[in-house]
Amino acid sequence: MSRFLVMTVLLLVGSTCLSAQEMALRDVLIDGEGWQMVAQGFTFTEGPAVDLQGNLYFTDVFGSKIHRINAQGKAEVFVDQSFGTNGLIFGPDGRLYGCQNGKKRIVAYDAAGESKTIAEDVQSNDLVVTRTGAIYFTDPENHQIWYISPQGEKRVVDRGLGYPNGLKLWADQGTLVVADMKTDHLFAFRVEADGSLKFKQPYYTLRLPPGKTESGADGMTIDSAGRIYVATQLGLQFFDPQGRLCGVINKPQNAWLSNAVFAGKDLDTLYVTCMNKVYKRKVKAQGIRYFDVSPGK
Amino acid sequence: MNNLGLAAGGARLRALGTAFMVLAAMSSLGRAADDYQLGPDSQRQADVPEGTVTQAKWTSKVFDGTERDYWVYVPKQYDKAKPACVMVFQDGGSYVDKSKDFRVPIVFDNLIHKQQMPVTIGIFINPGVIPPAKPEEKPRPNRSFEYDTPSPQYADFLLKEILPEVGKSYNLTKKPEERAICGISSGGICAWTVAWERPEAFRKVLSHVGSFTNIRGGHVYPSLIRKTERKPIRVFLQDGSGDLDNLHGNWPLANQEMASALKFAGYDYRFEYGDGGHNGKHGGSLLPDSLRWLWSDVPATPAAK
Repeated sequence: MSRFLVMTVLLLVGSTCLSAQEMALRDVLIDGEGWQMVAQGFTFTEGPAVDLQGNLYFTDVFGSKIHRINAQGKAEVFVDQSFGTNGLIFGPDGRLYGCQNGKKRIVAYDAAGESKTIAEDVQSNDLVVTRTGAIYFTDPENHQIWYISPQGEKRVVDRGLGYPNGLKLWADQGTLVVADMKTDHLFAFRVEADGSLKFKQPYYTLRLPPGKTESGADGMTIDSAGRIYVATQLGLQFFDPQGRLCGVINKPQNAWLSNAVFAGKDLDTLYVTCMNKVYKRKVKAQGIRYFDVSPGK
Repeated sequence: MNNLGLAAGGARLRALGTAFMVLAAMSSLGRAADDYQLGPDSQRQADVPEGTVTQAKWTSKVFDGTERDYWVYVPKQYDKAKPACVMVFQDGGSYVDKSKDFRVPIVFDNLIHKQQMPVTIGIFINPGVIPPAKPEEKPRPNRSFEYDTPSPQYADFLLKEILPEVGKSYNLTKKPEERAICGISSGGICAWTVAWERPEAFRKVLSHVGSFTNIRGGHVYPSLIRKTERKPIRVFLQDGSGDLDNLHGNWPLANQEMASALKFAGYDYRFEYGDGGHNGKHGGSLLPDSLRWLWSDVPATPAAK
């Protein structure tokens, strides 16, 4: 009898779940929790990044400074002259890596805000640093994606996207996702052992504003369930690991939404950079840091 | 596809409770919702010759980098001197399984033997996966991309890769009305998309709990069908009132919209709407009837050459 019941249960469960887990807006958003302004008075905020303690850093690209939110919840200057640094991310060595486009270089800032040059003579917009310390960064003006090996050798690993902008790895780091602002797609690539990229595919299809052919897809972030979030003109669009659009989170204000990251001690507060202001909201989802995730997860 | 893991741990106790309730409901109310049984045409019958099923692997260029299994069923009655009809199945591993809801090889054996459908080679294809470069990394699942995207890419994959490959070993028809395509859920909308995009190649569609919802934009078909000159497609749709209602859409309403649009535009269609959920039980029990109807315009015994 008990075996029969277990079989019945297995059949019921197995036969009613043809589609993979649903990941709707209600699985991410908390009722009654809207956007709260965290800081304002900037020109163009970008590059939200989270350190090991869960603190938020961000850049003011045109103001040419890097800021962080201090323990009192106030913005303070971390780097006073950032030379137009755009994308930011913390690496496994605890340093803050940035796309210092005003000097055409990739840099890494230590805890005191002192920078070291990682690569020179490159244009860049956004970057990711892998668990092993390798770097991928986008070069929109030249329609290409660069790779810097852990040994510091740089090379172009993809050409041909209209305007490659934000980029993120899946948690296991076997797939790289790149936003092409000029299309309605995020492209997925397989990451090869030597850092090269293969099997480029328009895996995620973005919703477009009425009458537009360009999504304006900018920065991205990823959560522990494998959802990818991308800042677009319509709002923060998010996708499940099968590439299906699951929701569009409204922008906090009617201005350019540039990027997002999960921060806070438990990485369960979603921060977005939106033109002159930075906003946050508590969510049910939880972010990841690549250097926290062990291989195979 | 396989969610058996959900029954593990604490969920197993809750699921057992649910099973008790379901069983109690079934015994107190007579026929419960979604209680569909397989008929004799879905059971192995003595004296009916069995076709052969062979498994193979395919690495695609159309879906670059994807790998997948597929199976080819060849009926005993196949004669290499005569082009055989073709029927393609998405999620092929499930449709070809002789112990699951559809058990297509058994149904084909029975119907072909009774000359209730023509001699047909079945091609059962699993969705693609891009395997990771390193074993500790995750594969990129390609099922939703291949099945849910309303584009000609999956039809190209069949016509440029799979049919030519299977055609090396077997004499396959080139007539579009002798080519059918079938799928469940996202595989169902995929079947429709193949015929819609390439009616010169495929003209028979069988959809089980088809996802005519907005997973990747496929919810537009009812309106497209109404305002596009009719295409020569014969289509059988199955759905049930207990089907999904989620972030992508409402499956029962979407299938009713499809049926209504097909009727409006004058299509040769059938719609079977039951009380089942998002599974293959109703579609499986209907499979022999749906195949008889779908193939009824093709002679089961073509004139000898």
